[in-house]
Amino acid sequence: MKNKSRITLLPLNQSFEVEEGSQLHDVLFTYGVEFPCGGHARCRGCRIRINEGTLPITAPQKQILSDKEIEEGWRLACQGEVQADLVIELDQWKSDILSDDSSFQFIPMDGLGIAIDLGTTTLAAQLIDRTTGEVLAIETAINPQARFGGDIMTRIDAATRLKRQNEMQRMIRVQLYGMITELFESSKRSKSDLKRIIIVGNAVMHNIFCGLDVTPMGFHPFEPISNNLEIFSPKDLEWDLDGNVSIEFLPGVGSFIGSDILVGAWVQSMSESDEVRVLVDLGTNGEIMVGNREKILTASTAAGPAFEGAGISMGMRAATGAISTVTLKNGEIVPKILGAKSPRGICGSGLVDAVSAYLDMGLIKADGRFLDGESIMVMDPVMITQKDIRELQLAKGAIATGIRLLLHELGSSEDDVEEVYLSGAFGNYISKRSSRRIGLLNFPQKRITTAGNTALLGAKKALFNEQKINHFYSLRKITEHLDLSMHPDFTEVFAELVNFPQK
Amino acid sequence: MEYLEKLHDAVLNGDPTKAISITEQALAEKIDPHILINDHMIPAMDEVGARFERFEYFIPQLLMSAKAMKGAMGLIRPLLVGDGVENEAICAVTGTVKGDVHDIGKNLLGALLEGGGFRLVDLGTNVSPEKFIDAVKENDAKLVCMSALLTTTMPGMKTTIDAFKDAGMRDDVIILVGGAPVTQHFSDEIGADGYRDNASAGVVLAKKLLNQNN
Repeated sequence: MKNKSRITLLPLNQSFEVEEGSQLHDVLFTYGVEFPCGGHARCRGCRIRINEGTLPITAPQKQILSDKEIEEGWRLACQGEVQADLVIELDQWKSDILSDDSSFQFIPMDGLGIAIDLGTTTLAAQLIDRTTGEVLAIETAINPQARFGGDIMTRIDAATRLKRQNEMQRMIRVQLYGMITELFESSKRSKSDLKRIIIVGNAVMHNIFCGLDVTPMGFHPFEPISNNLEIFSPKDLEWDLDGNVSIEFLPGVGSFIGSDILVGAWVQSMSESDEVRVLVDLGTNGEIMVGNREKILTASTAAGPAFEGAGISMGMRAATGAISTVTLKNGEIVPKILGAKSPRGICGSGLVDAVSAYLDMGLIKADGRFLDGESIMVMDPVMITQKDIRELQLAKGAIATGIRLLLHELGSSEDDVEEVYLSGAFGNYISKRSSRRIGLLNFPQKRITTAGNTALLGAKKALFNEQKINHFYSLRKITEHLDLSMHPDFTEVFAELVNFPQK
Repeated sequence: MEYLEKLHDAVLNGDPTKAISITEQALAEKIDPHILINDHMIPAMDEVGARFERFEYFIPQLLMSAKAMKGAMGLIRPLLVGDGVENEAICAVTGTVKGDVHDIGKNLLGALLEGGGFRLVDLGTNVSPEKFIDAVKENDAKLVCMSALLTTTMPGMKTTIDAFKDAGMRDDVIILVGGAPVTQHFSDEIGADGYRDNASAGVVLAKKLLNQNN
């Protein structure tokens, strides 16, 4: 029999035994630790600190971690093998997953329905009583495929080069069925009343769930084999449900643009409006839709990491100890910390607020330079460095450029836009004022609306009647995907919009 | 020649109009173009690179400095043709690998390579191994810089290096790799000569490796 080692996780203080020789990656994943690059020692996302015990350092880690960090006991969780008892400090927390509780109009129908938002990072499912529209139960979870990498490109790489697509398909189908079972258990309702399940997600999530080869999406022009409506019976998915239940994965448009953002535009009635509207979904990827009843244009941009605290020197998730908001009162910075007295990091919304405040104070210039020095202390020991500002500029510049170019292609401009909807996990927490101040959204504050998880709301709406869903399909018909990185003005517009507005 | 100092400043501050007018004046006064390049503009671009590495300069500043230098070089280059200097400059080939179309980082590197005195042949994006090889042959290039911004397209760097080996040309060129998902470990693994995480440090490394080779 193999020897056992005891592992203790801080600050959760969870303790458990594993066999010696176990891969730390596998062990920690089950405790909610994420591996953004897929466990290839390409990023710092799974950083852990060894408080007690030893974990040998491997060659790839030396490229990522500084000598000082290594000396202080920092390691990458994806590279370790358990050889002794360990007390580990986790540098990340399980994220809060955004559900949806907004009201919506519907025509009552028989039975129960389930709406599922199948995100790259997170999963959210709601059980709905279709006679009342009431949400009977909610389940959220981390997408189990996340152990193969945080973003869609590493997911595609794992599916194709590492040949894990079948495994990922099985994982997600099993996970979702588990969540469905939980929904019925917690609501004490009967599975036999279930009529319909609607799933929304980006093209990669769609293709993996439906069993379509994702290989073409790894390379320019990044087009999926297909991203159409896929209808399954419970038997197809090996889900133990009544045979008449219809399980539908809604269709997307081109490239990575999936049903999650499309239903978002649908619930904001973009295709029924005369005026131009903009929907920005800030999640693991940034997706943008702009348009009105005549035409809608859409694009995806690589913008997520900085907003989620990645690549920021003291960045962290919106969890205990994070500076989550910063306001300016009588010329003084007032930070707010989540669930603690002293801060240990700053999350995306806090960073955006802080930069916005320092811009107002004149301590950060429009070109992103500090007026003076190499860093600013927000609240001891949390500081923002010049590199952090540059990371934020890249992220917000990418989104602002996407919006500007799509509007330009539509023959429109920021001034013509009636309303801007900000949705998605990060979009829900960022301050409207600050997002305008840093030039993420170059629109008057009063035109910006926080829209929550519009993907889940859209899936829920789709559970109801057949007539309204026609609006979704006509919206899809007038929606066109653009590849912004190929746009001739991209570099020039980007170089303008990475700067901060003067005021 | 005090006003020549202002050429250095015009490049450093990214002022193309000024860089061009000073160059015009200097050329009218028959000042040796090599002095303009080697004593004023290259040191200015070196400083731009150093500031970029310290995060003091950012993409807009770097692009404007490159534009200033390019504007001045547009006037100078015709005068250099035939004197052999243009051919003496080491040729560098840049490109984003096949399947990938991201190019801002690669363009920044290109600007700094030109600023550093290299003769630049930029193959753009979505570049196949064959195109890299042909460009090296045609231009007698000594340096190849490949970029990939996606996990899925990174293996294209290995394919390209392998193609150079198969063509028997691997020892003729220094091959550097870069791009957000690339690491030193990956660079070693695929047999590249080096990796840096930013354009400015990439140019410094290129010069170092080329000097060692000579």
